[in-house]
Amino acid sequence: MSLRFGYGTNGFANHRLADALDVIAEVGYAGVALTLDHAHLDPYATDVKDQVARTARLLAERELGVVVETGARYLLDPRRKHAPTFLHDDAERRIDFLKRAIDIAAGLGAEAVSFWAGVRPAHVSAEVAWQLLAEGCAEVVAYAAERGVAAGFEPEPGMLVETLADWARLRDLVGADLKLTLDIGHCRANEPQGVAESVRIAGPHLVNVQIDDMRRGVHEHLEFGEGEIDFPPVLRALAETGYRGLVAVELPRHSHAAPDVAARSLTFLRAAQWLGDALDQLEREPAALATLLSAARRKVGRAAAEDVRVRLLGAVTLSPDEAAELYRYGDNEEKRAVLLACPQPDLVRDALRSNDTRLVAAALGPAARDLPDAEWRQGVLKSVFMGLPLSGVDGLPQRADAELGRMLAALRREREAAGRTMPDDAVDLLERLH
Amino acid sequence: MRIFDPHIHMTSRTTDDYERMAAAGVRALVEPAFWLGQPRTNTGSFTDYFDALIGWEPFRASQYGIAHHCTIALNPKEANDPRCREVLALLPRYLDKDRVVAVGETGYDSMTPEEDEVFAAHLELAREHGLPALVHTPHRDKVVGTRRSLDVVKESGIDPGLVVLDHLNEPTVAEVAGSGCWMGFSIYPDTKMSPDRMVAILREYGLERMLVNSAADWGKSDPLLTLRTGEAMLAAGFSDDDVDRVLWRNPVAFYGQSGRLDLDEADTAATFAGNSILRGGS
Repeated sequence: MSLRFGYGTNGFANHRLADALDVIAEVGYAGVALTLDHAHLDPYATDVKDQVARTARLLAERELGVVVETGARYLLDPRRKHAPTFLHDDAERRIDFLKRAIDIAAGLGAEAVSFWAGVRPAHVSAEVAWQLLAEGCAEVVAYAAERGVAAGFEPEPGMLVETLADWARLRDLVGADLKLTLDIGHCRANEPQGVAESVRIAGPHLVNVQIDDMRRGVHEHLEFGEGEIDFPPVLRALAETGYRGLVAVELPRHSHAAPDVAARSLTFLRAAQWLGDALDQLEREPAALATLLSAARRKVGRAAAEDVRVRLLGAVTLSPDEAAELYRYGDNEEKRAVLLACPQPDLVRDALRSNDTRLVAAALGPAARDLPDAEWRQGVLKSVFMGLPLSGVDGLPQRADAELGRMLAALRREREAAGRTMPDDAVDLLERLH
Repeated sequence: MRIFDPHIHMTSRTTDDYERMAAAGVRALVEPAFWLGQPRTNTGSFTDYFDALIGWEPFRASQYGIAHHCTIALNPKEANDPRCREVLALLPRYLDKDRVVAVGETGYDSMTPEEDEVFAAHLELAREHGLPALVHTPHRDKVVGTRRSLDVVKESGIDPGLVVLDHLNEPTVAEVAGSGCWMGFSIYPDTKMSPDRMVAILREYGLERMLVNSAADWGKSDPLLTLRTGEAMLAAGFSDDDVDRVLWRNPVAFYGQSGRLDLDEADTAATFAGNSILRGGS
């Protein structure tokens, strides 16, 4: 079952809402996480009903699903970020806002409305804070339930409820109508268990998911690949929970490059999902490896394909014969991956006999370690002959010897006789060996 | 003019051809597996050939900025040799490969029962692997062979939009036009079709589902006859957009049904040339 990816409009803060929806739909997302804010469906606008109707129409025309997010920074108070929260003296303004958000969500046919606790003010004790939060949430959740809107409460690092365990405590106080919004990035930042395990724990309660990359202990929403999360197994775990709601990219600090970031993010997520499913399939059915290797480029894109092939090969314990068979029937990209992931001297020799620069380069990586010196020297000489950079040759400074120097010198003389030059890196090596 | 040659046997061509093709605007091509002139006598001969089609030949093409894809099959001529037929069991290994964009060439050579069987098996393989099929129509008794090929396509249940009948000419085009299959035309120096006859057919039947190829191989043939056909189209009053449709967008649409076309190389080459009009991947 395919996950439904969405994008948060708080990552399109420099776009008109209608324009943001256009771009998000064009990129190929299935929905949006709509953060109510000054410029994006302001719940305090006098014509909010018209805006809701218009937005619902825009969403329907673009076949976008929607969840409503309530994390706007200065919507309620122009001076204090996120204030007031459930934990402030004037919490009723937060509750009023959330009720408006619920009405808007109902008007939009949103799949969920999402909200959080707030940071505990210094003058409020933990005990009082939990009591305020539970009371406020109970009122909000009851209001949502009457209107048929799913209420997703989101643990936020630094706030009173910041982990799944905190959320479970609140749910016990508020009741089972309190559902869960999970930010995948937060799991990496502050959950005690791994990200995939967090997703499995959260699964039964999820009504909304946000996704982004993050580093341990740092609450900073990062583009995919810039943090520490290994997404393929996380997405697999999420699909296995049976969750069918939106999984919306949450990059509120990337509005300056929103269209590009949105496109890159979806490419990444689709590739990660495919790889997660593929790794899962290999656990049950190792024989699928050949087919998956062949499909990698068309599933994850050219840029990511090689890393993915290597990872697929690493996921299965292969006998030398099985690896040789994959090499034998692989196209040259697959052959490269076998050389990188599970090399054997015979395969390295085959690659070095070829005239495909990609194969020769792969053969001279760590794959060549078990090759006898004479063959290794011939390989290095061939790579110079083909114009490959020597920087790709594994262990060159340690292994290059006088005999290699002699061979390179001979090649240089031949080249000079023909009025041609040697590449600079080969000349450097030659001079070092003399 | 950007050109996608949907049928050309580069294995039999020199690097001079690649150079001339690139200079003429060829940015992408499909090389169907076919016979090599000299009959094969064992399956290993096929697999080494297939390996070249997915290995060495794309590498060679990439040196000239040309995106190379191929089709894989046991050709109809050698389908009649029991020593070759065993390769059928090995085809699935190749049909999953990234640059394999169709099953082919299949179809008829002499319309033997063996060819019937192998042709039907190939269409089934195309269905199983979600690939289009490239059907070679016979050089002899072409009208009967084309009609019979259409019957086999119909019986197989494959979507006719996933099938091209190739090497068509004036006597065979009408029936294929009505079948929903794509129509392939091989432009040859003397035999098959000429650029001017091709233009006449485009005038009569329109541009939809039309593929024009050079089918250049080890015989007397010319890889630039795609370009010459484009020029003949312009001379006859077709627009640049019409030419682009026939020589680029149509083959991209047909083989794109495989989900495997990778035209980045074509894009890169166009960028190197500094001419954005040549950019591929419509």
